[in-house]
Amino acid sequence: MSDFKQRLLVQLADSVVNMDEDLTVERAQEYLENSFDPYEAITKGLARGMDRAGELYEEEEYFIPELLMCSDAMYAGLGVLRPHLKQDKIGEKHKVVIGVVEGDTHDIGKNLVKIMLETLGFEVVDLGRDVPPVDFVEKAKEIKADLIALSTLMTTTMEGMKEVIQLLERDKLQDKIKVMIGGGPISKSFADKIGAYYAEDASKAAKLAQDLVQEAQL
Amino acid sequence: MMKDKMTPIERATAIARGEMADRLPCNPNVANGVARIYGCRISEFNHSARTIADAQIASYRRFGYDGVRIFTDLFPWAEAMGAKINFPADNTADLATPALEDIVQIDSLESADPYKDGRLPIHIEAMKYLIDELGKEVSCVGGIVGPFTNAFFLLGIEKMSKLFFTNPEVVHRACQVSLETCIRYAQAIIDVGLTPTISEPMSSCTIVGPKHFREFGEPYLKKLVQYITLKGKPVTMHICGKTDKIWEDIVVMGIAGFSVDNVVNLQKCKEQIGDRVKILGHVDPSAVMYAGTPADVREAVINCVQQAWDSPKGYVIMSGCSLPVETPLRNIEAMMDAAREIGYPIDPEKLNSMLRSS
Repeated sequence: MSDFKQRLLVQLADSVVNMDEDLTVERAQEYLENSFDPYEAITKGLARGMDRAGELYEEEEYFIPELLMCSDAMYAGLGVLRPHLKQDKIGEKHKVVIGVVEGDTHDIGKNLVKIMLETLGFEVVDLGRDVPPVDFVEKAKEIKADLIALSTLMTTTMEGMKEVIQLLERDKLQDKIKVMIGGGPISKSFADKIGAYYAEDASKAAKLAQDLVQEAQL
Repeated sequence: MMKDKMTPIERATAIARGEMADRLPCNPNVANGVARIYGCRISEFNHSARTIADAQIASYRRFGYDGVRIFTDLFPWAEAMGAKINFPADNTADLATPALEDIVQIDSLESADPYKDGRLPIHIEAMKYLIDELGKEVSCVGGIVGPFTNAFFLLGIEKMSKLFFTNPEVVHRACQVSLETCIRYAQAIIDVGLTPTISEPMSSCTIVGPKHFREFGEPYLKKLVQYITLKGKPVTMHICGKTDKIWEDIVVMGIAGFSVDNVVNLQKCKEQIGDRVKILGHVDPSAVMYAGTPADVREAVINCVQQAWDSPKGYVIMSGCSLPVETPLRNIEAMMDAAREIGYPIDPEKLNSMLRSS
């Protein structure tokens, strides 16, 4: 890899971490003008920036507002790069249905998980917020999803998570379509109790999703 | 379920005087789960003050816990200022759209009238029924969402987060109008004879960093605390999630009690701020109270008491946040019974032997 390209990738990542939307767009354009591979700009530039932002969140240097600004910068960069992606690079993706469970309209956490999943190459269908349990299962069946990702910030919606799993069990799909859950009130013991996989935060959710689809291929 | 020998007010008075009591105060924080105990749908709380009060009274009578509160969801104040709310038939209300569609409308934002706007008059009326019926035996409080958290519901949660960076003046304006609503509501609570208590979930370091909290949250929250304190009412505050980085900021506001989330280190909290405020907490409402067994609840209560019973300004056994609506009633009973079994004064040796026998 040329030093110049390497430097641009680092700058792309830095501009995401530094919450600088304009600079991210500028770097992405500069990168394309030099005919470098846009896929790498996403995985080794933008996604690394988002990863670092996630680490800073874990270290309690960054918080939700900072992550939102980083993700705006990241999305702006994606907007520049995506139209130039070669088709074969985005084929053969694993599919995820994501959403916030019925009764909850907080979607910050869900949006971050979605971005992280997309940067790892997942095809993500976002059902939005306040989604009835049956909709997750129907959409997952329709698109033959590998995973369902459920998020909530409210303890009041945890029953809905359980219902999604019960619906999958009813249709004998619980081995085909795995369910990962996360959000403020969710704990590992709750996930274990209802038979879901627990994602502690957005960056761990993306890694968990990768592990789950790789596991399924073995 | 075991029986208590004192009313919550007798107990609190005795403990404050250093006299003998039957047990530590304990508040499972049942929230809208009271609908399950009383036998009504949660949506009935949206229009009937009588039902809000009766459900609270029924739940108190059943469990005998040490505090009742009129508080149904986070949004009555934002609603009274123009936000749209979703009201599910039998679940807790939630924000549909914030009060302001666009920040250019910021100057049209007005503080709410607690006797006129939205559901606020219903809550004030419910407080009257509550204090008439229970005021002599248990502490009756009126819940308020703090000015910073409420401002998020006026501007939109994501939008306000970004405005920290792009337009801080608008955030300050929203917090200021929000504070005016909080103060008017706090005064209305005091006028009917209850004590205000503040919930400030968005101040949590799980969401907002200490830097932004100090810039946008603390100045307004402090004014609300000072207002209530000057009226002679001791105010308790609850903040969800991590809070250790802002403990000192909160304590110097002059609160009387601080209710902590289960993610906080309770012992560290006691050691750092227990000399200045009463500590309340922090049995896990999700993993233990909702998903655990009565034995898990008993163990969790003992663990909390071990960490905080000797807090200099006092300690109350509490859940780390409002309980999920479908929390098994036997777990709420188990929490109260654990407090009764532990008794008073606290004997650390007894706590150890209780854990060994579990």
